[in-house]
Amino acid sequence: MNTAPDDTLLSAWIDGELPPEQRAEVEAWLREHPEGAARVRAWSADARSLRSAFGPLLDEPVPAALTQAVWRKAPVVLPALAWARWAAALALFVLGAAVGAGLMWRAQAPSGSAVVAASGERASGWVQRAAVAHSVYVPEVRHPVEVKAQEEHLSRWLTRRLDVPVKLFDLREQGFELVGGRLLPDASGPSAQLMYQAIVPAGAASAAAKPERVTVYLRKPDDATPAAFRYEQQGELGLFYWVEGKSANSGPTGYALVGALPRERLLALAEAIYRQEPSRVARP
Amino acid sequence: MDAPAAFRQQLLGVIPSLRRYARSLVFDPHAADDLVQTALERALAHWHQFDQRRDILVWTISIAHNAHIDERRRHARAALVEPSEGFDPDASQGPPGADIGLQLDLVKALGRLSLEQREVLLLVTLEQLSYAECAEALRIPIGTVMSRVSRARIALRALLDGKGAVPPQGTLRRVV
Repeated sequence: MNTAPDDTLLSAWIDGELPPEQRAEVEAWLREHPEGAARVRAWSADARSLRSAFGPLLDEPVPAALTQAVWRKAPVVLPALAWARWAAALALFVLGAAVGAGLMWRAQAPSGSAVVAASGERASGWVQRAAVAHSVYVPEVRHPVEVKAQEEHLSRWLTRRLDVPVKLFDLREQGFELVGGRLLPDASGPSAQLMYQAIVPAGAASAAAKPERVTVYLRKPDDATPAAFRYEQQGELGLFYWVEGKSANSGPTGYALVGALPRERLLALAEAIYRQEPSRVARP
Repeated sequence: MDAPAAFRQQLLGVIPSLRRYARSLVFDPHAADDLVQTALERALAHWHQFDQRRDILVWTISIAHNAHIDERRRHARAALVEPSEGFDPDASQGPPGADIGLQLDLVKALGRLSLEQREVLLLVTLEQLSYAECAEALRIPIGTVMSRVSRARIALRALLDGKGAVPPQGTLRRVV
Protein backbone atom coordinates (compact mmCIF):
# COMPACT_ATOMS: atom_id res chain seq x y z
CA MET A 1 0.00 0.00 0.00
CA ASN A 2 1.53 3.26 -1.11
CA THR A 3 -0.57 5.67 0.88
CA ALA A 4 -1.33 5.28 4.56
CA PRO A 5 -4.74 3.74 5.21
CA ASP A 6 -7.00 6.20 6.98
CA ASP A 7 -8.42 5.58 10.43
CA THR A 8 -11.74 4.39 9.05
CA LEU A 9 -9.97 1.64 7.16
CA LEU A 10 -7.84 0.66 10.15
CA SER A 11 -10.92 0.54 12.34
CA ALA A 12 -12.78 -1.58 9.81
CA TRP A 13 -9.76 -3.88 9.70
CA ILE A 14 -10.08 -4.48 13.47
CA ASP A 15 -13.71 -5.44 12.98
CA GLY A 16 -12.92 -7.81 10.13
CA GLU A 17 -15.01 -5.76 7.74
CA LEU A 18 -12.55 -5.47 4.89
CA PRO A 19 -12.53 -7.59 1.75
CA PRO A 20 -9.50 -9.95 1.58
CA GLU A 21 -7.45 -7.83 -0.80
CA GLN A 22 -7.81 -4.66 1.22
CA ARG A 23 -7.16 -6.55 4.40
CA ALA A 24 -3.87 -7.82 3.04
CA GLU A 25 -2.87 -4.30 2.08
CA VAL A 26 -3.63 -2.93 5.52
CA GLU A 27 -1.71 -5.76 7.14
CA ALA A 28 1.28 -5.11 4.93
CA TRP A 29 1.19 -1.44 5.87
CA LEU A 30 0.87 -2.23 9.59
CA ARG A 31 3.97 -4.45 9.44
CA GLU A 32 6.04 -1.55 8.15
CA HIS A 33 4.56 1.17 10.33
CA PRO A 34 4.98 0.41 14.03
CA GLU A 35 3.33 3.67 15.12
CA GLY A 36 0.21 2.79 13.12
CA ALA A 37 0.27 -0.72 14.54
CA ALA A 38 0.47 0.74 18.06
CA ARG A 39 -2.65 2.82 17.44
CA VAL A 40 -4.54 -0.19 16.21
CA ARG A 41 -3.37 -2.22 19.20
CA ALA A 42 -4.60 0.50 21.56
CA TRP A 43 -8.02 0.48 19.92
CA SER A 44 -8.20 -3.29 20.17
CA ALA A 45 -7.23 -3.09 23.83
CA ASP A 46 -10.00 -0.57 24.40
CA ALA A 47 -12.47 -2.95 22.82
CA ARG A 48 -11.32 -5.72 25.16
CA SER A 49 -11.68 -3.39 28.15
CA LEU A 50 -15.19 -2.52 27.05
CA ARG A 51 -16.07 -6.19 26.80
CA SER A 52 -14.74 -6.93 30.24
CA ALA A 53 -16.48 -3.89 31.72
CA PHE A 54 -19.86 -4.68 30.20
CA GLY A 55 -19.58 -8.47 29.99
CA PRO A 56 -20.87 -9.14 33.53
CA LEU A 57 -24.12 -7.39 32.58
CA LEU A 58 -25.05 -10.43 30.52
CA ASP A 59 -24.91 -12.67 33.58
CA GLU A 60 -27.12 -10.48 35.70
CA PRO A 61 -30.42 -12.14 36.53
CA VAL A 62 -33.18 -10.84 34.30
CA PRO A 63 -35.72 -8.82 36.33
CA ALA A 64 -39.04 -10.59 36.67
CA ALA A 65 -40.85 -7.59 35.20
CA LEU A 66 -39.13 -8.17 31.87
CA THR A 67 -39.81 -11.89 31.78
CA GLN A 68 -43.43 -11.19 32.62
CA ALA A 69 -43.61 -8.59 29.88
CA VAL A 70 -42.66 -11.29 27.39
CA TRP A 71 -45.28 -13.77 28.58
CA ARG A 72 -48.08 -11.31 29.07
CA LYS A 73 -51.09 -12.01 26.90
CA ALA A 74 -51.31 -9.34 24.27
CA PRO A 75 -52.62 -6.29 26.09
CA VAL A 76 -52.00 -4.40 22.91
CA VAL A 77 -54.20 -4.81 19.89
CA LEU A 78 -52.30 -5.24 16.65
CA PRO A 79 -52.49 -1.95 14.80
CA ALA A 80 -53.84 -3.66 11.68
CA LEU A 81 -56.49 -5.43 13.69
CA ALA A 82 -57.33 -2.29 15.63
CA TRP A 83 -57.85 -0.54 12.34
CA ALA A 84 -60.05 -3.33 11.03
CA ARG A 85 -62.03 -3.25 14.24
CA TRP A 86 -62.61 0.47 13.99
CA ALA A 87 -63.50 0.16 10.35
CA ALA A 88 -65.95 -2.60 11.15
CA ALA A 89 -67.43 -0.67 14.05
CA LEU A 90 -67.74 2.36 11.84
CA ALA A 91 -69.35 0.27 9.10
CA LEU A 92 -71.90 -1.07 11.56
CA PHE A 93 -72.53 2.43 12.83
CA VAL A 94 -73.01 3.82 9.35
CA LEU A 95 -75.31 0.94 8.54
CA GLY A 96 -77.26 1.64 11.68
CA ALA A 97 -77.50 5.31 10.78
CA ALA A 98 -78.58 4.42 7.25
CA VAL A 99 -81.25 2.11 8.59
CA GLY A 100 -82.38 4.77 11.00
CA ALA A 101 -82.52 7.33 8.24
CA GLY A 102 -84.31 4.85 6.03
CA LEU A 103 -86.90 4.17 8.68
CA MET A 104 -87.41 7.87 9.31
CA TRP A 105 -87.84 8.44 5.65
CA ARG A 106 -90.17 5.52 5.34
CA ALA A 107 -92.25 6.95 8.15
CA GLN A 108 -92.51 10.27 6.40
CA ALA A 109 -92.54 9.37 2.72
CA PRO A 110 -95.56 8.04 0.96
CA SER A 111 -95.50 4.26 0.75
CA GLY A 112 -93.92 2.72 -2.30
CA SER A 113 -90.97 5.06 -2.68
CA ALA A 114 -89.53 4.30 0.75
CA VAL A 115 -88.10 0.83 0.18
CA VAL A 116 -85.34 2.24 -2.03
CA ALA A 117 -83.48 3.64 0.92
CA ALA A 118 -82.47 0.29 2.30
CA SER A 119 -82.05 -1.58 -0.94
CA GLY A 120 -78.63 -0.26 -1.91
CA GLU A 121 -77.02 -3.42 -0.60
CA ARG A 122 -75.89 -6.27 -2.74
CA ALA A 123 -77.61 -9.61 -2.83
CA SER A 124 -75.29 -11.11 -0.28
CA GLY A 125 -74.88 -7.92 1.74
CA TRP A 126 -75.89 -9.46 5.00
CA VAL A 127 -73.52 -12.36 4.35
CA GLN A 128 -70.68 -9.85 4.06
CA ARG A 129 -71.76 -8.30 7.30
CA ALA A 130 -71.74 -11.73 8.89
CA ALA A 131 -68.06 -12.03 7.92
CA VAL A 132 -67.29 -8.57 9.28
CA ALA A 133 -69.07 -9.27 12.55
CA HIS A 134 -67.14 -12.51 12.82
CA SER A 135 -63.80 -10.72 12.39
CA VAL A 136 -64.76 -8.07 14.90
CA TYR A 137 -65.84 -10.29 17.77
CA VAL A 138 -63.91 -13.53 17.42
CA PRO A 139 -60.59 -12.01 18.59
CA GLU A 140 -62.26 -10.57 21.69
CA VAL A 141 -60.80 -12.04 24.81
CA ARG A 142 -62.93 -10.50 27.52
CA HIS A 143 -66.20 -9.69 25.79
CA PRO A 144 -66.68 -12.06 22.88
CA VAL A 145 -70.41 -12.17 23.49
CA GLU A 146 -73.06 -9.91 24.93
CA VAL A 147 -75.02 -12.63 26.69
CA LYS A 148 -73.34 -15.82 27.81
CA ALA A 149 -74.58 -19.24 26.77
CA GLN A 150 -75.55 -20.15 30.33
CA GLU A 151 -78.18 -17.48 30.51
CA GLU A 152 -81.55 -18.95 29.72
CA HIS A 153 -83.02 -15.88 28.20
CA LEU A 154 -80.49 -15.74 25.35
CA SER A 155 -82.64 -17.64 22.90
CA ARG A 156 -85.86 -15.90 23.91
CA TRP A 157 -84.28 -12.48 23.83
CA LEU A 158 -82.80 -12.93 20.36
CA THR A 159 -85.97 -14.50 19.00
CA ARG A 160 -88.01 -11.59 20.24
CA ARG A 161 -85.66 -8.97 18.85
CA LEU A 162 -85.09 -10.64 15.50
CA ASP A 163 -88.62 -11.72 14.84
CA VAL A 164 -87.25 -15.04 13.61
CA PRO A 165 -86.83 -18.12 15.79
CA VAL A 166 -83.34 -18.26 17.26
CA LYS A 167 -82.33 -21.67 18.42
CA LEU A 168 -79.12 -22.31 20.32
CA PHE A 169 -77.68 -25.09 18.22
CA ASP A 170 -75.89 -27.90 19.97
CA LEU A 171 -72.57 -28.47 18.20
CA ARG A 172 -70.84 -30.42 20.96
CA GLU A 173 -70.85 -33.55 18.87
CA GLN A 174 -68.83 -31.60 16.31
CA GLY A 175 -66.45 -30.42 19.03
CA PHE A 176 -67.79 -26.90 19.56
CA GLU A 177 -69.60 -25.39 22.50
CA LEU A 178 -71.70 -22.27 22.65
CA VAL A 179 -70.00 -19.21 24.13
CA GLY A 180 -73.03 -16.95 23.86
CA GLY A 181 -74.61 -14.46 21.54
CA ARG A 182 -75.11 -10.86 20.75
CA LEU A 183 -77.56 -8.62 18.98
CA LEU A 184 -76.17 -6.59 16.10
CA PRO A 185 -77.51 -3.69 14.10
CA ASP A 186 -77.79 -4.52 10.43
CA ALA A 187 -79.51 -3.07 7.42
CA SER A 188 -83.31 -3.28 7.69
CA GLY A 189 -83.38 -4.75 11.17
CA PRO A 190 -81.25 -6.47 13.77
CA SER A 191 -79.20 -9.63 13.39
CA ALA A 192 -77.96 -12.10 15.93
CA GLN A 193 -74.56 -13.63 16.27
CA LEU A 194 -73.99 -16.88 18.10
CA MET A 195 -70.41 -17.72 18.93
CA TYR A 196 -69.07 -21.23 19.34
CA GLN A 197 -65.65 -22.24 20.46
CA ALA A 198 -63.72 -25.48 20.08
CA ILE A 199 -63.90 -27.65 23.17
CA VAL A 200 -60.41 -27.99 24.56
CA PRO A 201 -59.86 -31.39 26.19
CA ALA A 202 -59.19 -31.05 29.91
CA GLY A 203 -55.49 -30.96 30.62
CA ALA A 204 -54.59 -29.91 27.09
CA ALA A 205 -55.50 -26.32 27.84
CA SER A 206 -52.65 -24.07 26.92
CA ALA A 207 -52.61 -20.48 28.02
CA ALA A 208 -50.91 -19.34 24.84
CA ALA A 209 -53.14 -21.07 22.28
CA LYS A 210 -56.38 -19.44 21.29
CA PRO A 211 -59.43 -21.65 20.86
CA GLU A 212 -60.91 -21.89 17.40
CA ARG A 213 -64.15 -19.99 17.10
CA VAL A 214 -66.97 -20.00 14.61
CA THR A 215 -69.98 -17.72 14.49
CA VAL A 216 -73.51 -18.22 13.27
CA TYR A 217 -75.16 -15.09 11.98
CA LEU A 218 -78.93 -15.08 11.67
CA ARG A 219 -81.42 -12.59 10.39
CA LYS A 220 -84.32 -12.07 8.11
CA PRO A 221 -82.71 -12.47 4.70
CA ASP A 222 -83.02 -9.97 1.89
CA ASP A 223 -85.34 -11.09 -0.85
CA ALA A 224 -82.37 -11.43 -3.17
CA THR A 225 -80.57 -14.09 -1.10
CA PRO A 226 -80.77 -17.44 -2.85
CA ALA A 227 -82.26 -20.16 -0.69
CA ALA A 228 -79.67 -22.72 -1.76
CA PHE A 229 -76.75 -23.78 0.38
CA ARG A 230 -73.72 -21.70 -0.67
CA TYR A 231 -70.07 -21.67 0.21
CA GLU A 232 -67.73 -18.73 -0.10
CA GLN A 233 -64.08 -18.30 0.83
CA GLN A 234 -62.85 -14.89 1.93
CA GLY A 235 -59.16 -14.99 2.75
CA GLU A 236 -58.82 -17.47 5.57
CA LEU A 237 -62.50 -17.26 6.42
CA GLY A 238 -64.94 -19.78 5.07
CA LEU A 239 -68.67 -18.94 4.86
CA PHE A 240 -71.61 -21.27 4.48
CA TYR A 241 -74.92 -19.49 4.06
CA TRP A 242 -78.44 -20.47 3.26
CA VAL A 243 -82.03 -19.45 3.82
CA GLU A 244 -84.59 -21.51 5.64
CA GLY A 245 -88.03 -21.23 4.15
CA LYS A 246 -91.12 -20.05 5.85
CA SER A 247 -92.58 -22.26 8.49
CA ALA A 248 -96.01 -22.19 10.04
CA ASN A 249 -95.11 -19.62 12.64
CA SER A 250 -92.28 -17.60 11.12
CA GLY A 251 -90.89 -16.02 8.02
CA PRO A 252 -87.67 -17.10 6.28
CA THR A 253 -84.41 -17.00 8.22
CA GLY A 254 -80.98 -16.38 6.72
CA TYR A 255 -78.04 -18.26 8.21
CA ALA A 256 -74.36 -17.60 7.72
CA LEU A 257 -71.80 -19.82 9.40
CA VAL A 258 -68.37 -18.17 9.47
CA GLY A 259 -65.07 -19.65 10.56
CA ALA A 260 -61.39 -19.95 9.74
CA LEU A 261 -61.70 -23.70 9.38
CA PRO A 262 -61.11 -26.13 6.54
CA ARG A 263 -64.18 -26.42 4.35
CA GLU A 264 -65.05 -29.99 5.44
CA ARG A 265 -65.03 -29.11 9.14
CA LEU A 266 -67.15 -26.07 8.50
CA LEU A 267 -69.51 -28.13 6.40
CA ALA A 268 -69.99 -30.64 9.23
CA LEU A 269 -70.99 -27.77 11.50
CA ALA A 270 -73.29 -26.28 8.87
CA GLU A 271 -75.03 -29.61 8.43
CA ALA A 272 -75.52 -29.99 12.17
CA ILE A 273 -77.11 -26.55 12.28
CA TYR A 274 -79.23 -27.36 9.28
CA ARG A 275 -80.54 -30.54 10.94
CA GLN A 276 -81.38 -28.70 14.15
CA GLU A 277 -83.07 -25.77 12.45
CA PRO A 278 -86.34 -25.01 14.27
CA SER A 279 -88.71 -25.26 11.32
CA ARG A 280 -87.26 -28.64 10.37
CA VAL A 281 -87.34 -30.02 13.90
CA ALA A 282 -90.90 -28.85 14.37
CA ARG A 283 -92.03 -30.50 11.17
CA PRO A 284 -93.93 -33.73 11.77
CA MET B 1 -53.48 -12.69 16.73
CA ASP B 2 -51.32 -13.16 19.75
CA ALA B 3 -47.57 -13.75 19.55
CA PRO B 4 -46.80 -17.49 19.45
CA ALA B 5 -44.90 -19.09 22.33
CA ALA B 6 -41.89 -19.80 20.09
CA PHE B 7 -41.53 -16.11 19.38
CA ARG B 8 -41.75 -15.28 23.08
CA GLN B 9 -38.97 -17.78 23.74
CA GLN B 10 -36.81 -16.03 21.17
CA LEU B 11 -37.47 -12.72 22.89
CA LEU B 12 -36.51 -14.14 26.27
CA GLY B 13 -33.20 -15.17 24.77
CA VAL B 14 -32.23 -11.66 23.74
CA ILE B 15 -33.14 -9.90 26.98
CA PRO B 16 -29.61 -9.96 28.45
CA SER B 17 -28.10 -8.44 25.32
CA LEU B 18 -30.92 -5.94 25.04
CA ARG B 19 -30.38 -4.85 28.62
CA ARG B 20 -26.71 -4.35 27.97
CA TYR B 21 -27.44 -2.36 24.85
CA ALA B 22 -30.03 -0.24 26.67
CA ARG B 23 -27.54 0.39 29.45
CA SER B 24 -25.09 1.74 26.89
CA LEU B 25 -27.76 4.20 25.74
CA VAL B 26 -29.10 5.49 29.02
CA PHE B 27 -26.68 4.11 31.66
CA ASP B 28 -29.17 4.40 34.51
CA PRO B 29 -30.13 0.75 35.18
CA HIS B 30 -33.79 1.45 35.89
CA ALA B 31 -34.27 3.70 32.90
CA ALA B 32 -32.48 1.09 30.79
CA ASP B 33 -34.78 -1.69 31.93
CA ASP B 34 -37.79 0.52 31.26
CA LEU B 35 -36.51 0.96 27.75
CA VAL B 36 -36.07 -2.80 27.39
CA GLN B 37 -39.61 -3.36 28.59
CA THR B 38 -40.96 -0.87 26.08
CA ALA B 39 -38.98 -2.57 23.33
CA LEU B 40 -40.27 -6.02 24.34
CA GLU B 41 -43.86 -4.80 24.36
CA ARG B 42 -43.46 -3.23 20.96
CA ALA B 43 -41.83 -6.39 19.63
CA LEU B 44 -44.78 -8.44 20.90
CA ALA B 45 -47.29 -6.08 19.37
CA HIS B 46 -45.53 -6.30 16.01
CA TRP B 47 -44.33 -9.90 16.15
CA HIS B 48 -45.97 -10.63 12.81
CA GLN B 49 -43.65 -8.14 11.16
CA PHE B 50 -40.58 -10.08 12.23
CA ASP B 51 -39.00 -12.00 9.39
CA GLN B 52 -37.71 -15.26 10.87
CA ARG B 53 -34.77 -15.23 8.49
CA ARG B 54 -33.48 -12.17 10.27
CA ASP B 55 -31.58 -11.95 13.53
CA ILE B 56 -33.99 -11.26 16.36
CA LEU B 57 -31.35 -9.36 18.32
CA VAL B 58 -30.80 -6.94 15.44
CA TRP B 59 -34.56 -6.53 15.09
CA THR B 60 -35.18 -5.89 18.78
CA ILE B 61 -32.20 -3.53 19.03
CA SER B 62 -33.72 -1.58 16.19
CA ILE B 63 -36.97 -1.35 18.16
CA ALA B 64 -35.18 -0.30 21.33
CA HIS B 65 -33.21 2.28 19.38
CA ASN B 66 -36.40 3.82 18.01
CA ALA B 67 -38.07 3.69 21.42
CA HIS B 68 -35.13 5.56 22.86
CA ILE B 69 -35.34 8.21 20.15
CA ASP B 70 -39.06 8.61 20.83
CA GLU B 71 -38.34 9.01 24.50
CA ARG B 72 -35.70 11.62 23.91
CA ARG B 73 -38.05 13.57 21.67
CA ARG B 74 -40.66 13.54 24.40
CA HIS B 75 -38.12 14.78 26.90
CA ALA B 76 -36.86 17.39 24.49
CA ARG B 77 -40.37 18.73 24.17
CA ALA B 78 -40.86 18.69 27.91
CA ALA B 79 -37.59 20.34 28.81
CA LEU B 80 -36.61 23.84 27.85
CA VAL B 81 -32.98 22.94 27.34
CA GLU B 82 -32.13 19.72 25.59
CA PRO B 83 -29.83 17.79 27.84
CA SER B 84 -26.35 16.98 26.70
CA GLU B 85 -26.15 13.83 24.66
CA GLY B 86 -23.22 12.56 26.63
CA PHE B 87 -24.44 11.18 29.91
CA ASP B 88 -23.16 12.49 33.19
CA PRO B 89 -20.95 9.73 34.52
CA ASP B 90 -20.88 11.17 38.02
CA ALA B 91 -24.62 10.89 38.31
CA SER B 92 -24.81 7.26 37.28
CA GLN B 93 -23.73 4.03 38.83
CA GLY B 94 -22.18 2.75 35.65
CA PRO B 95 -22.22 -0.91 34.80
CA PRO B 96 -21.25 -3.40 37.48
CA GLY B 97 -17.61 -4.33 37.47
CA ALA B 98 -16.74 -0.74 36.76
CA ASP B 99 -15.38 -0.22 40.23
CA ILE B 100 -11.84 -0.86 39.17
CA GLY B 101 -10.02 2.38 38.47
CA LEU B 102 -9.28 1.66 34.84
CA GLN B 103 -12.81 0.59 34.09
CA LEU B 104 -14.24 3.59 35.87
CA ASP B 105 -12.17 5.79 33.60
CA LEU B 106 -13.29 3.77 30.64
CA VAL B 107 -16.96 4.09 31.50
CA LYS B 108 -16.55 7.79 32.21
CA ALA B 109 -14.83 8.30 28.91
CA LEU B 110 -17.52 6.30 27.16
CA GLY B 111 -20.13 8.53 28.70
CA ARG B 112 -18.50 11.53 27.13
CA LEU B 113 -18.81 10.18 23.63
CA SER B 114 -21.81 11.31 21.66
CA LEU B 115 -24.73 8.94 21.84
CA GLU B 116 -24.35 8.08 18.16
CA GLN B 117 -20.70 7.14 18.54
CA ARG B 118 -21.21 5.23 21.76
CA GLU B 119 -24.07 3.26 20.28
CA VAL B 120 -22.25 1.98 17.21
CA LEU B 121 -19.02 1.33 19.08
CA LEU B 122 -20.79 -0.82 21.65
CA LEU B 123 -22.93 -2.64 19.10
CA VAL B 124 -19.83 -3.57 17.14
CA THR B 125 -17.53 -4.41 20.04
CA LEU B 126 -19.95 -5.82 22.63
CA GLU B 127 -22.77 -7.35 20.61
CA GLN B 128 -20.35 -8.14 17.80
CA LEU B 129 -22.78 -6.98 15.15
CA SER B 130 -21.41 -6.67 11.66
CA TYR B 131 -21.43 -3.22 10.09
CA ALA B 132 -24.30 -4.37 7.89
CA GLU B 133 -26.38 -5.54 10.88
CA CYS B 134 -25.56 -2.34 12.71
CA ALA B 135 -26.69 -0.30 9.73
CA GLU B 136 -29.90 -2.32 9.56
CA ALA B 137 -30.65 -1.90 13.26
CA LEU B 138 -29.99 1.84 13.27
CA ARG B 139 -31.27 2.47 9.75
CA ILE B 140 -28.16 4.32 8.67
CA PRO B 141 -25.81 3.61 5.75
CA ILE B 142 -22.96 1.16 6.28
CA GLY B 143 -20.50 3.94 5.46
CA THR B 144 -21.88 5.93 8.37
CA VAL B 145 -21.44 2.98 10.71
CA MET B 146 -17.88 2.61 9.53
CA SER B 147 -16.93 6.24 10.10
CA ARG B 148 -18.78 6.47 13.42
CA VAL B 149 -17.00 3.42 14.82
CA SER B 150 -13.68 4.81 13.78
CA ARG B 151 -14.37 8.27 15.22
CA ALA B 152 -15.65 6.70 18.42
CA ARG B 153 -12.43 4.71 18.80
CA ILE B 154 -10.29 7.78 18.27
CA ALA B 155 -12.36 9.88 20.68
CA LEU B 156 -12.39 7.20 23.35
CA ARG B 157 -8.64 6.71 23.15
CA ALA B 158 -8.04 10.46 23.32
CA LEU B 159 -10.19 10.68 26.44
CA LEU B 160 -8.36 7.79 28.07
CA ASP B 161 -5.03 9.39 27.21
CA GLY B 162 -6.13 12.38 29.19
CA LYS B 163 -6.76 14.50 26.14
CA GLY B 164 -10.23 15.30 27.25
CA ALA B 165 -10.19 18.30 24.98
CA VAL B 166 -11.62 16.24 22.16
CA PRO B 167 -15.16 17.57 22.13
CA PRO B 168 -17.71 14.82 22.09
CA GLN B 169 -19.77 15.39 19.01
CA GLY B 170 -23.32 16.48 19.27
CA THR B 171 -23.25 17.75 22.84
CA LEU B 172 -24.84 20.99 23.76
CA ARG B 173 -22.53 23.82 22.98
CA ARG B 174 -21.95 26.09 25.86
CA VAL B 175 -21.31 29.76 25.40
CA VAL B 176 -19.16 30.97 28.26
